[in-house]
Amino acid sequence: MIEIRDLHKHYDTAEGRISVLRGIDLQVPSRSITAVVGPSGAGKSTLSHCISLLEKPSNGQILVDGKDLSALSGKALRAERRAIGTIFQNSALLRRMTVAENIALPLRNLGVVHHQMQDRVAELLDRVGLADKANAYPGQLSGGQRQRVGIARALALRPRLLLSDESTSGLDPESTAQVLELLDSLRSDLGLAIILITHEMDVVRHVADQVAQLDHGRIAEYGQVRELVSSPVSQTGAKLLPLRPEPLPVGFDYELAVAYRQRNVDPTWLTRLAVEHNARVALLGGSVESHHEGTLGRVRLGVAGLDAAEVISLLDSWGLTATVRDGWEPAETERIEVAV
Amino acid sequence: MRIPTESAAVGTDTPLAELPALLLPAYGQTWAMVGIVMVLVISLGGAMGVALYNTDRHGLFPQARIHAVLSWVANMGRSLPFLVLMAAIIPFTKWVTGTTIGIAAAVVPMTLAGIPFFARLVQNALNDLPRENLAVGLVTGGSPTQVISTTQIREALPALASAITLNTISMIEYSAIAGTIGAGGIGYLAVTYGYQRFDMNVMLATIVVLILTVQIVQFLGDRIARALARP
Repeated sequence: MIEIRDLHKHYDTAEGRISVLRGIDLQVPSRSITAVVGPSGAGKSTLSHCISLLEKPSNGQILVDGKDLSALSGKALRAERRAIGTIFQNSALLRRMTVAENIALPLRNLGVVHHQMQDRVAELLDRVGLADKANAYPGQLSGGQRQRVGIARALALRPRLLLSDESTSGLDPESTAQVLELLDSLRSDLGLAIILITHEMDVVRHVADQVAQLDHGRIAEYGQVRELVSSPVSQTGAKLLPLRPEPLPVGFDYELAVAYRQRNVDPTWLTRLAVEHNARVALLGGSVESHHEGTLGRVRLGVAGLDAAEVISLLDSWGLTATVRDGWEPAETERIEVAV
Repeated sequence: MRIPTESAAVGTDTPLAELPALLLPAYGQTWAMVGIVMVLVISLGGAMGVALYNTDRHGLFPQARIHAVLSWVANMGRSLPFLVLMAAIIPFTKWVTGTTIGIAAAVVPMTLAGIPFFARLVQNALNDLPRENLAVGLVTGGSPTQVISTTQIREALPALASAITLNTISMIEYSAIAGTIGAGGIGYLAVTYGYQRFDMNVMLATIVVLILTVQIVQFLGDRIARALARP
């Protein structure tokens, strides 16, 4: 279990004090992935630097299995760093080292004996599916392969927390999928706690269990991905499964925002609503996707011929949450951040 | 009384057959000077370059004041033309070596000129490395020495090889200038025979030797840098 308690970070400049993090609290249980999302300037990379112990927080604690690592420095810090493995954007491999040498770097820094180092590197190469690339140089690998080497390096000292700092940005969709699949399997196989710092909502939707929305150095919204997506008022949920619905056509009584609340919603629910309950239903927009914990979905409907309260209670009994929509919802029109 | 004329001066040209006997020892002296100087420059200038880089904002020990002082020293060392530097520090040279002529006396100003030059080259080479290298070194548990050796020096080796090449060529040039204070070497030969005695053969021979030397050093340096680079 990784716990971040009341983390503050500020910088004193000539123009005065700049507060970048203003009290972050986050709990990342083992075997789970927590995504930290937010616009540029929200404090994501400062948080990432604090968690990877590259920067000392001004205040607050970073507890790994109850031990505060944020206060350490020098040799004590180097010794405890192994609890946290960091994956960087663009993999950050050393270009003049082979794949095997890159993976062995943490072991070498620690002074692990040669044959043990070789065994561990072989095991890690196998784990990330690059056993045939041990003697290749980073320049000879694809972006996705490089990132898998980066993951292997981060795993070398058997950390309890894996911190991924924008590790999939800049990767093509196929490589991104491979990296996410790997992270997903590491969570369950090694029981790792994983923190994904990212601006890519696709990534969050596919692998994260929890998501924290960072805004101006604070956590604006925090919860299970399922809960946020199925909440009609969650801004993070709206960003995770964004919709641009058609306007309500003439002849329909009201517009409904529907979200999948339960994991196994009957996929024919829309047909049932129309056929069994004689509702006239217009599909205005929708997004239904698979998540490792079951289907996620947000749908916008126009309904006529059936009372709203009745429809809402019906849908509720099928594991769907519905609310009548009226007017403008800011989260829908907000620009979804795509680049840092 | 016979007044020397130009044609008489031309008549003093050293016969071609005697050139090797004249050139080879001088060439050896040149390399002795450059060799000693480069050992000192690589170790002291290299350390200064690493310090310049690591005291900077993105370095291992950001120390704005120390960085500013180092930077000022490096600039000062490079702001004087070598001939001026050499003349200006004669008392210092004498204090260090006990003499103001010969190889030992030339090594002092050459080293002093070479250190800041090489330090800047090293700093540039390190600046060209990806910024994340430092973070990689630290999160993989590296000590300061390990971070500097693996993520900085080792990664910058091709650029450092080019920097050494450039510096060596500069030092060959400086050794020729140092020849004017009787440091020996090819430069001394060019001055005493070529300039003072109008010995055209020696003059041309020293030019050819210097050009060939620089070409060979550059060629070898490029080869080494390329061999050190990775795909």
